[in-house]
Amino acid sequence: MRILLSTFITLLIFSYLLDVANPLLWTKLGTNAALFLSELRIEWGVMNDALFAVYETLVISLFGVSGGVLLAYLLAPLASPLIMPPAAAAAFRTLANFVRSVPAVVWAIFFVILAGPGPRAGALALVIYTSIYLIKFFYETLEAVDRELYNSLKVMGLSGLPLAFALYTHAKRHIVTQILFMLEYNVRTATILGLVGAGGVGYYIAHYLSLLNYSAVMTFVIATLALVITIDLVSYAVRRII
Amino acid sequence: MKFQLQHPVFLRNVSFNYGNGLLLRDVNLLVDYGEAVAIMGRSGAGKTTLLKIISGLLKPTGGYVEVFGCPMSFGCVKHIRRRIAYIPQNLALIESETALYNVLLARAPNKPLRFITSLWSRSDVEEALGVLKAVGLGDKAKTKVEKLSGGEKQRVAIARAIFQRADVLLADEPVSSLDFDTAEAIVDMLISLKSKGITIIAVMHDRELAFKYFDKIYVLENGVLK
Repeated sequence: MRILLSTFITLLIFSYLLDVANPLLWTKLGTNAALFLSELRIEWGVMNDALFAVYETLVISLFGVSGGVLLAYLLAPLASPLIMPPAAAAAFRTLANFVRSVPAVVWAIFFVILAGPGPRAGALALVIYTSIYLIKFFYETLEAVDRELYNSLKVMGLSGLPLAFALYTHAKRHIVTQILFMLEYNVRTATILGLVGAGGVGYYIAHYLSLLNYSAVMTFVIATLALVITIDLVSYAVRRII
Repeated sequence: MKFQLQHPVFLRNVSFNYGNGLLLRDVNLLVDYGEAVAIMGRSGAGKTTLLKIISGLLKPTGGYVEVFGCPMSFGCVKHIRRRIAYIPQNLALIESETALYNVLLARAPNKPLRFITSLWSRSDVEEALGVLKAVGLGDKAKTKVEKLSGGEKQRVAIARAIFQRADVLLADEPVSSLDFDTAEAIVDMLISLKSKGITIIAVMHDRELAFKYFDKIYVLENGVLK
């Protein structure tokens, strides 16, 4: 009850600060919503563009995941005290945590500046973003591996990358689940990256929004939704198989 | 680094403290090559701890440990590791992989690139298949470990130790979860490794099997090895 009460009081304070409780705002919201809904329909003229944009988003996401998995697979052991000396692992973790605090959209802006606008910038941004997240997932997975297996492999003489690979193999179902999660996540993120010029669906949505062409925006949104649902279904099917 | 190999395992006045008391007290142990030694004792007596000290996984809080003639305090852990196989209670097999993969894993320290790329030489694969056949799993080489029975999993763990060409095999309760007949077959297989010059140190609960098959039997009681 206390949590509810304190949440309600917080909400009231911020409503005042943001002027959300202003009746004029709600009138305006209603009028614009009616206008927006009247414009909502699929614009078949932009469907080809929408399908291409969705394909481009998918390619960006797959590239991001592939590059990210490769980097994370090789780098995650550096953050694990099971593989590296504890001090070195702690230092690498600190660095990885720092890099992870940078949002994907900032990486996209960075690569738009370096590589120019377009899908290449989005793909490169997603490689960095995915790898840094997967490094965290992977080193946590390494540490959750059965300690007796680790001891047995250690006594056998395994160390470094081969030891990490053996532990990865043991946890491969978990690893595949994490990779699929990042693929789903990347499709959503790639949509946003287009807003800063890094290619994909977001680029077109931003363009048609600036023209107030809501039916075109709706077409792109529906195409994106279809992609996201397809990826989710494929991920679900793969998880069931493994 | 080569050392004269008088005894594969030599412990003198070894003690181990877990923080809440002395688990091992002045433990002395001398094991010869090709000898089979059983260590018995109640649960929590320190039997697993003793195996971990011999394998270099735990450092004793006191005393002297020498493996293959090399003092453990002398930084020998790396040198002795490839020559020791350690089979913990839960066997430590990669269950989602085949029996063959688990056996080949024993060569990963010597051939890391082949292990990472899974491009094993034909001779390695043939040797691993031969070892699996020798332990009675010739037809289960491509079967995932998770689909094998408890006794078959034990055989995979033993096959891995053979393929590793270990000189000392440390087995922690290798037959605790098996029925008597299967347990006897596994112990018989373990003991047969003596003919290959492998020293066996096993934690055992079954007195009958221990007395029937092992050369020496020690009992850990109140931290003392008798």
